[in-house]
Amino acid sequence: MTESSVPLSGERQGPRFGLRALAGVWMGKCAALVLRLIGREGTHVPGRIALWVCPDLLAAIARPETVIVVTGTNGKTTTTNLLADALSALGLSVSSNLAGSNLRDGIVASLIGGVNIWGKNRRDVAVLEMDERSALRVLPQLAPDIVVCTNLTRDSIKRNAHPEFIAWILTSAISPTTTLVLNSDDLITVSLGGESNRRVFYGVDPTGDESSEPSGSAVDASICPRCDERLQWVFWRFNHIGRVRCPVCGFTSPVADIRVSPVDSSTGLRSLAINSESVSVRLANDSIVNVYNVAAVAATLDLLAVEPTEIGSVVESLTPPPSRFADETIGGVRLVRLLAKGLVGVAVSRAVAHIVSVPGRKVILLAVDETTDRFDGVENTAWTYDADYEYLADPSIAAIYVGGVRRHDQALRLAMAGVDPDKIVLDESETRGADLVPLDGIDAIFNLHSNHNAVSTGDAVHGKLRTRLLEMSS
Amino acid sequence: MTLTIEMLFPEIANLYGDNSNIEYLSRCLPEARIVRTGLNDAPQFVTQNVDLVYLGPLTERGQLRAIARLIPHKARIVELIDSGTHFLFTHNAMECLGTRIVNAEMNYDEPGVGIFDFSTEVGMFDRYTGKVMGNFDGVSQPVVGYKSQFSMVSGSPEIPGFMRTTRGIGRNPTTHVEGVRRNNFIGTSLIGPVLVMNPHLTQWLLESMSPSPKPPLALRELALAAYDARLREFHDERTWSAFERVAD
Repeated sequence: MTESSVPLSGERQGPRFGLRALAGVWMGKCAALVLRLIGREGTHVPGRIALWVCPDLLAAIARPETVIVVTGTNGKTTTTNLLADALSALGLSVSSNLAGSNLRDGIVASLIGGVNIWGKNRRDVAVLEMDERSALRVLPQLAPDIVVCTNLTRDSIKRNAHPEFIAWILTSAISPTTTLVLNSDDLITVSLGGESNRRVFYGVDPTGDESSEPSGSAVDASICPRCDERLQWVFWRFNHIGRVRCPVCGFTSPVADIRVSPVDSSTGLRSLAINSESVSVRLANDSIVNVYNVAAVAATLDLLAVEPTEIGSVVESLTPPPSRFADETIGGVRLVRLLAKGLVGVAVSRAVAHIVSVPGRKVILLAVDETTDRFDGVENTAWTYDADYEYLADPSIAAIYVGGVRRHDQALRLAMAGVDPDKIVLDESETRGADLVPLDGIDAIFNLHSNHNAVSTGDAVHGKLRTRLLEMSS
Repeated sequence: MTLTIEMLFPEIANLYGDNSNIEYLSRCLPEARIVRTGLNDAPQFVTQNVDLVYLGPLTERGQLRAIARLIPHKARIVELIDSGTHFLFTHNAMECLGTRIVNAEMNYDEPGVGIFDFSTEVGMFDRYTGKVMGNFDGVSQPVVGYKSQFSMVSGSPEIPGFMRTTRGIGRNPTTHVEGVRRNNFIGTSLIGPVLVMNPHLTQWLLESMSPSPKPPLALRELALAAYDARLREFHDERTWSAFERVAD
């Protein structure tokens, strides 16, 4: 157990809870009730109305004795889900914005859901997902006991600029009394907070298959924070995730307090090391992303004084929520659907890296853009050059069908990445490629689309390909 | 003749995919030597002739680091600019060569290298994203690109710009003058990357660096198709928002 754990029961009344705050709670509860009656739940509306009535409600509202905020570029939703599930499994009542917004309004709405009509807290613990850019509007008033940060990597150029900017926002907003649970394998995340913040680090041990040389365009922690020298990688996973050391001044990544080992191939188990103790666990999902999320949950539970054996039992029971991912085999051909978040190069990098890792001869239908951005601003296509399309310059990729408005940009980007232009087929339609793509001799087909065209393109392409594959196999 | 392209501080100057500017040049000039000068290395341009010096987008702290490394070489940079060496500084890299950078939210007001008489104001909660289209002296086709930045540059309109915008803002929302140009020094806040998005501009740069033989444009058909499609879009008045207009 980590020294000086955080209490898990009781109640804290906000310092300025008065009639106005109570009115805000009532208005928020009324709005939530109306929304439930009309079949809408989990929105930010109750929080927005409550904040209109009482602008400092976030500071005033009664909250559980323990308030945990989960933030980070990737994995915050899953980690929030897993942590809330874990605490529920331990018998605690949990307030969370699992179904709602991760902005200030959504966080206020979930806290309102956790108090009774007299404003008295009804929950043991709050686990709140927070959009990292909302930190300045949330953390100073909420002053959570724990902030968990999963990672800080590149995101939308337009909105998030670069991870150092997001780290600066978070550090500017974090209370000096907040304990930080940080990914020790992310050098930007470990920089969060000030001198007085207590830090607990978690990490995932190397398998031995990692590289010691980073690749790709989004390596945001390349120099020593002390002496500016180029860092050496003890191991490198992706983006700037891994362990580093400085060859000049001796700086290293922090040692993790909670570590997850690679899978033991003979038993299928991992070792979960919690300070000086170790338990064996079998995880429901062994993807590296999920292992990091589980490690964050384990580190937080340890901070809450949960015994290591109990942490081991709980994390084994955790099942990640369904991903935006579908994978089936029809007539011996894998049909994989991937939502590749346009505007975020690193998300597309992970998607295309996954494609190349799948064995066999592959074709890709690519309709990734964010043209809807044009309706309320500007669609900036520079993100494609932050995505490591270089993975696709692989002999196993037989063809890439690119559809839609941005097909010419995507074709140029693919060719810049080293993809043979003869393998690139362009079509104005985002879905026609599903009719045209030759399926003979193909082992896997990938359907890549964005959020905004998930139904119009993603569903349509998936349906067409399924039909063709079923016809072929019958 | 083998051309030498020096990328300054690529370990920190690598945001927004902009290093693809140099990747594209290297595709056009397969024989070119690309020198990657680290933050703690002595720049090659100090002691040797290079054909192009490139600095890409930086974080705010990265800008201050780059300035600290370049200040000792101010006289040499001026000498190279005056003698016609090519420079390409994209996004906020250009700002390093101005007189100062003021960032109230991050609480600093720091001198720049001081080669160009303009200053920069950084607003960490006032990020601007917009399209730009304009004319570059030397190329008949418009230059297109994107801005996505915290900073605005202020300086006399008399300081020659990289281009004059016909759509979109220039150095700041009150001017059509975008970036800075002196001889073969090009500084622009455009990202895209600007050379990949603008094959005609790249052709001009290639021919300016290597007049004979004239290097061919890599991936010419694909680059022109993407450029033409974007130009059609940018010529459509409906794609422009009010905030993308210069306050005349």
